[in-house]
This record gives sequence, C-alpha cells and structure tokens, in this order.
Amino acid sequence: MKKILAMVIAALMVTSIIAVPVHADDPVTLTMWCIATESDANRPAYEQAIAAFEEAHPDIKIEWEAFENQSYKTKIKAAMSDPETLPDIFFTWAGAFLGDFVAAGNVYCLDDTYANFQEQLPEVMLQNASYDGGHYGVPLTMNIVTLFANMDLLAEAGWDHVPETYEDLTACCDALVEKGIIPFGCAGKETWCVTEYLEPIIEKTIGYEALNEVFAGRATWNNPGIAESVSTFQDMINKGYFDPSGMALGNDEVKANFIAGKYAFYQNGSWNCGEVNDAEGNFQVALFPVMNAENATYGQVIGGPSDTLAVAASSKNPEIAANAAFELGRDICHYGYLAGSGLPAWTPDYDTSEVKALVADVAEIVAAADGMTLFGDTAMSADPANTYLDYVSLVYGTEIDGQGFIEGLAEELQ
Amino acid sequence: MKKLYSNKGHILLFLIPAIILFCGILIAPIVMSGYYSFFDWDGLGEKTFIGFSNYIDLFTSNRIGFMKALGNSLVLALLSVGLQLPLALGLALVLGKGIKGERIFLSIFFMPVLISTVVIGQLWLKIYNPDYGILNVLLRSLGLESWTRMWLGLRETALGAVFIPTLWQYVGYHMLLLYAGVKSVPKELREAAMLDGAKDSQINRYIVLPYIKPIIRISVIFAVTGSLKSFDLIYVLTNGGPFHSTEVPSTLMIDMLFLRNRYGMGSAIAVLLIILCFAFALIINRVFKEEE
Amino acid sequence: MKLTDKIPRMLIYIGLVFWAVINLFPVYWMFTFSLKNNDEIFGENVAGLPQNWIWSNYTEALKTGNMGKYFLNSGIVAVATILITLAVALMATFALTRLIWKRRKTLNKFFMLGLTIPIHASIVPIYVTLSRLHLLNTYLALIIPYAAFSLSMAILVCTGFMNAIPRELDEAACIDGCGVWGIFLRVIVPLMKPAVATVGIYTFLQCWNELMFANIFISKTALKTLPVGIQALSGQYTTAWGPIGAALVVATFPTLFIYVFLSKRIQDSFVAGAVKG
Repeated sequence: MKKILAMVIAALMVTSIIAVPVHADDPVTLTMWCIATESDANRPAYEQAIAAFEEAHPDIKIEWEAFENQSYKTKIKAAMSDPETLPDIFFTWAGAFLGDFVAAGNVYCLDDTYANFQEQLPEVMLQNASYDGGHYGVPLTMNIVTLFANMDLLAEAGWDHVPETYEDLTACCDALVEKGIIPFGCAGKETWCVTEYLEPIIEKTIGYEALNEVFAGRATWNNPGIAESVSTFQDMINKGYFDPSGMALGNDEVKANFIAGKYAFYQNGSWNCGEVNDAEGNFQVALFPVMNAENATYGQVIGGPSDTLAVAASSKNPEIAANAAFELGRDICHYGYLAGSGLPAWTPDYDTSEVKALVADVAEIVAAADGMTLFGDTAMSADPANTYLDYVSLVYGTEIDGQGFIEGLAEELQ
Repeated sequence: MKKLYSNKGHILLFLIPAIILFCGILIAPIVMSGYYSFFDWDGLGEKTFIGFSNYIDLFTSNRIGFMKALGNSLVLALLSVGLQLPLALGLALVLGKGIKGERIFLSIFFMPVLISTVVIGQLWLKIYNPDYGILNVLLRSLGLESWTRMWLGLRETALGAVFIPTLWQYVGYHMLLLYAGVKSVPKELREAAMLDGAKDSQINRYIVLPYIKPIIRISVIFAVTGSLKSFDLIYVLTNGGPFHSTEVPSTLMIDMLFLRNRYGMGSAIAVLLIILCFAFALIINRVFKEEE
Repeated sequence: MKLTDKIPRMLIYIGLVFWAVINLFPVYWMFTFSLKNNDEIFGENVAGLPQNWIWSNYTEALKTGNMGKYFLNSGIVAVATILITLAVALMATFALTRLIWKRRKTLNKFFMLGLTIPIHASIVPIYVTLSRLHLLNTYLALIIPYAAFSLSMAILVCTGFMNAIPRELDEAACIDGCGVWGIFLRVIVPLMKPAVATVGIYTFLQCWNELMFANIFISKTALKTLPVGIQALSGQYTTAWGPIGAALVVATFPTLFIYVFLSKRIQDSFVAGAVKG
C-alpha cells in the first residue's frame, strides 16, 4: 500500500513538474495602484485578497503600490497624459472620474470578462462605471452616508434612541447643547465631508429622483427645495450644533473626536462602520430624518458603489488583468465586508454571520432602501464637481445662503 | 591661447550638456505649455483652439479667482521685501560688524532654511491646531482665551497664518546672503570711517549699504520671484483654502491641471507666472540701475 | 566702556536672543512632542520635556513610515543632483566666461531665464518627456529635472567665482602645453572649490524640499523621497502626533547635524561668493 501511494505521489509530482510550463507560458507580473495605504481601513482587505489571488494563480504576480488619497488624484491624472505609464490595474472612483478616462480611450472594456462573473456580481452594481453600454469598472464595496450616534452621550441628554424626525433631532440637539455636548462634528478642511451632511438633507427635502436629475445636469440647481435645505443646514450650524473648530479640521481628526466621545453624532460614509463598531462605547447607525414627507421617505439614501478597479487599455495583458481585477475586486469586497470597511457590491457566497453588528445594521438599511443618489462629487465631472464643492464649502462657512447657493450653481453649471 | 580658446568644437562640447539639460527640461516643456494654453483641453481628449480665451478669462472671471491669487502672492512679495528683507538686513549688519557669538547666531538663524518645507508645514499645522496647537494653548494659558482662533480655518486669519512661516523660514537665507556682502566690505574702509569718528549707523548707511547694493538687488529679486512662485508650504498648510482665501497662482494652477481637468487653463497660468517673474526681475534691475 | 555704549549693545543682544528663540522653539517643540504620547501633547504637558520618553514613536516612524529608506533616497537624489549640476554648470561657465565666441552674453542671459521659471510650471510635459525616455520610477526621474532647475543659479554663482580667477593662470598653463581640457580640469576646477559649497547649498535646498515632482514621477515605495513620505505618514497618523513628530525629527536632525559641522565652511563660501558674485 505504502509503495503504491509513494508511486502515485511520485507520478503526481512528475506530472506537476511537467504540467507547469503547459499551464502558463511565462510568469506574468501585473502592476496595480490603489489608495489602500497602511492606515486605510481597506488595507487588510487588499492584502488578503492579493495573497489569495497569488495563491490561486502562482504564475501571476501582483506588484502593487498604495498612495495617499489626495496625491493619488494628481498622480493618476498625470499618468493618463501618457497611457504607457499607467499600471495594468488602477483604483478609481466610479461616475465622472472614471468616465473622463474612458472617454479618452485609456480604459479597457470589461464586457467579455464580466460574462464569467455575472452570477456573483449583479449588473446594477456596475451601473456607475458603465458608459455607452460598456462596463469599465469592477466595483469593490458600496457605501451610503450613515448617521453614527454615540448612545452614551444621547442618554446623558435623555434620549434612548436616535431621533427619527427632524423635530426630535432638533429637540435632541438642543438637549445635548444644554448639557455642553457638541452634537455634530464635520471636517471643513475636506469639503466632501460637508457634502455628507448637506446631500442627505437635500435628498430628504426634494427626494432622491429630483436630486439625481440635478446631479446629472438634467434639472436646474435653481430649486427652492435645495435653498430650503441649505437654510436647514445653516440653521443647525447657527444654533451651535456643529463643532466650531470643524472648519480647520480634517476628517481623521473629526472621526477621532467622535470616537473619543467629543460629539454625539457623526455623519459620514458607511466604510467607517468597522472602526466605530470596534471602538469603545455604545454606537448606533441610522439615517438623517425626513424633511419633507411629500417628496422623500426615510429609506432614501445617498451612496452607491463608487470604489472601483479599472484596467488600462495600454496593459500588455489586458485579459489577464481584467480577470485579476474581477477576482481581486470580489475578494477585497469579501474581506472588506467582514472587516466592516464597506458593504458588499458582490453577492456574498460566504459565511456572513461574523459580520460586525453595525455593518449588518447598515446592510439592513440598504436592503430596505427606497431609492439611492450617488455622491454628488462622484456623479459630476471634474470641473463642475469642484465648483459644486466650492459652493458647499461656502455654505458651511455661512458665507452664502440658500438663495446664493442655488442661483450661483444654476448660473455656473447651467 | 586665443586660438585654443576659440576652437568651435571645444566650445560646443563644453556647452552641450547644459544646453541639452536646460532646453530639454525647462524650455521645451514650457513651449509646450504655451501651446496648450491656447486650447480648451481636459488633458485627455480632443483639443479645441480658443485663442487667448484662457488668458482673458484669467483676468476677467471672478469665478476662477486668478486675480485674487495673484494679489495674494503680491502681498506676500510686498511683505517679503518690506518685513523679511529689512529684518534679514538688520541681522546681517549686526552680525557682520563682528560681535561675540557671531557664528552661533548665524548658524541658528540659518537653520530653518535647511529644514524641509514639508516638515516646516507639518510642524506649523500642529502649531496652529485649534484644539491642541501650541499657539492657542499659549494664548489660553496667558488668559487670552478670546484671542484663540482656528488660524488656518478662517478667511480673515488664514492668509496671515500661512505667510508667517513662509517669511520666517527664509529670513536666514537672505540674512546669510547679505551677511556675506557685509563681510566683504574692505576693512580699510570701515577703519578709515571710524577714525573720522563715524558712528555705527553712519558707517552702515554711507559705506556698507552702498557697497552691498548688488547683493541687496539679488535678494530683492529672489524675494519677489520666490513669492510669486511660492507653493510647497501653502500646499501643505491650506492648499488654497478656506474658500480660496489663501490661493496663490501655483496652487490655482495645480488645481486647474489635476482637480478640474482644465489643462489649457492651467498651462495659461504657468505661462503667466513665468512672464510675471521675468517682468519683475527686469523691473527690479531697472530700479536699482536708475538709483545708481 | 561707557554706559551709553552698553545699553544699545544690551538691546542688540536681547533682540538677537529673542530671534534665536523664535527660530529654535519650533524645532525644540517638534523634538519634545516626538517623544510624548497624545495625553501629554494634548494637555498635561504641552511645551515641557517629555515625562515618559516614548522612543517607540521612532521605531514606528522608521518601520511603518519607512523614514530611514526615504531619507536615504533623498540623500542619493540630492548628492547626485549636486554632482551633476556642478559638472554641467562648471563646463558651461567655462565656455561662457573663458572661451571666445560671439553671442556668449546672449546665451548667458538665456540661461538666466531659468531663475524665473517656477518648478511646477510644466509638470505634465516633463512627465511625458521622462516617460518617453523610460526614466520614470528611477532616481534619474528626479535627478535630471532637479539638476536642470538648479542650473541657472549654479551658472550665476560659478560665473562670479570664475571671473575672479586671473587669466594669467590660463596663459601659463597654455604655455606649459595644456589643452583646453587640461586648463579646465587642472587649473580652473581646483580653484573653484569655494563655489562648490555655495552651489551645493542652493541645489540641496531645491531638491531636499521638492514635493510635487517627487510625488508624480515616482511610484515605487522603494524610491520615494522624504517630502512624499512625510506627507503620506501625516495622512496616516493625523491623530497620533508622536510618530509624526518622530518622522519630522528623523527628516530634520541629520541635516542639522551635518550643518553643525559644516556651517563655518558654508558661511565662508557664501562670503567668498558674495565678493565675487
């Protein structure tokens, strides 16, 4: 018996040695750029996914580099000016950011490869990275704007649940202010953090369909509902609901303050769930309350799949890279979901009982969502998006009012 | 000798590395930028020729804010010439006369120049931090709670808060340049004046200053062009914010090139910056010549 | 000494010491908070010496932040840039001041154009050029542009020094049978030593600080330079000031240390440069 076993093993070894060159002509190296730096919540998910990929494909090596978010935007755009310098696979935001690169012909179309992954990845998740009917990006995670609440602080102000109407929210904030607790933290130094507050208010005032039309440029900004939302937001600022230091702080500082118990609420992307979940204290997730029940419901959310991997048209091995992008995307999604750094864009085919409590709660909110609007600065192309961000920052600094906001944007973005 | 030094082959050989480096990396790319500045182009797709529209927009559109950015950098230039240089000159005159501890002071004052701008920026970010920064902590401990500010977050204070480290860092640089000039004043001149009973202030005014005028001129040129070109520290501290109140032409250019995908407009800013720096250098030269 | 002399002298010293404190304090503060934890930095002990010296901030900066590696890269880039700039500038200056030909004044002015060109003015065309030459992601991707942007200043400084070398030396060497290269290498270059320090400092400052090129032209962690590394690290540790402080110190103190030893020579060469420039 032992002899036979030994012979079988020997035979297997021989075939495997012979078989290797048959399977793969040459070892392939794929290069990849992303923004999962050491401190990024997604870093472990990338590491695990890449390790899993290289184990499954011993003939393919992934050489990857991570860059700090802000400098990455400069870097990828410079690289687009000479497509030869692009890596095979690159991280990008869906919507207009990727759209500009697609329009320039620098991105490889993933339609053929997608056919192999259709079962695991619903087509609706590819929507934000599809242009003229072609699919150009693999979604990693999807995220929505989430209202995080520190229940211990709320309890101090006499609240045992997150307010679900605007009246309750103002009552709660007034009680918090009275107790000397700052209700909200918002990083003014990074304007996208301000949109995480403003966009849900607008959506809950005019409804997600109307907001979608505005972001897509099909409807005018000159909408009294938007002006009203801006006034609501500025009312909250003027009543002292926001940390006055916020204007000079970055998001990481604000988030740290919230986790340390300095603010009662923090409204930001659901990718923070894992971190908030693991922090000491009693936290809950919710959505911003409805402002105008005629147009909006509680279940309307801001967000969608935005974090995306794309393949360069200049890649030497576009098919291999495309396949890798899908497999990596799937696994980054998998590990990211378990770690709480995002919700799955891919249908989970693994045990999800280990998912963190807050993540599961947000997943439930998404499952019950009535409608969704993509983040404004992702939906709009670069120039108008930055004009929009300029105006949002003016709103946060109360430099302009609602009327100025809608008239200014309507005039500049037509 | 003359024949040896007139050999065309040698002349070419000595010049070629410099010309290749200079034209390949400085001149050619700028010519390219000049060309792009006449187009409406996102840096990726089709270019549309629009003549001088980009330039006209820069000077007329409030939205782009180029004039504001230019104004900011001119204020910086003014402060640099009006505050930084006099301070540097004062230090140079005092130290150049030769006093106890001259070397130590010289070394300390030059030190900030040697620290990387990014380090200086990160350090001052911490100094200005509204909650834990040493500046607000100091004010609070002095009982001046009402003086504390979010220095980098307010329209009113941000520009000043950005300029202070910018000016602070390079005092030592100008000081050393001017100190070198002061040291080069021939001893005999000084001694002769002292024998005539001249006071220190008189020696400085009638002997040292006229002697080091060429160096003052260079210092002024560096201060002004340096202010117009300033980028790194502002990029680290505020990146032009809040509400574009600390924007200077260079940060605006990077914004146009990489954030707004307005490649033609960014190139136009680059070209204008070069023209402005050059014009200022010429004007300053002229002013100093006329004084002579 | 009379009292009337003493009082202004006192005032001058007070002024000097005051300015010295303004220059030293930020560096002192940086050093102290690099050794503290957030509790001390944020309240208990803002400006004093650390109560517990937390050296682990440094291991963190060096290990996670790769500061050692980045420092080395910056050093390599700086030294190579200085050497190339010097070689190219000395040769060009020799042709511009010694050799005899028409239009050398014009060419000199042409090189001086470089003094007014901001380094960021044409970042994308330079990127494309470097990419065509297959130089991206190498040290040369930084060395070549840095050298090009330092060239004008270097020629300006070298011209002053070289004009001050008496032409009789060239004549003598020529009579001794030296060729052009012989005169350049054996007579001129050795006499240019004081210019080396001045040019070196200018060039060093240029490339030691530069952030934008370094960010865009280099994509490999192994080749990144200090400014990029510090920006990245401070993005990672926005809320833990200790390790950032440690990284800032690591990036700063070696240069200051070298400076302490060389300061006299640097200052002297500046003085020499001013006489000749």
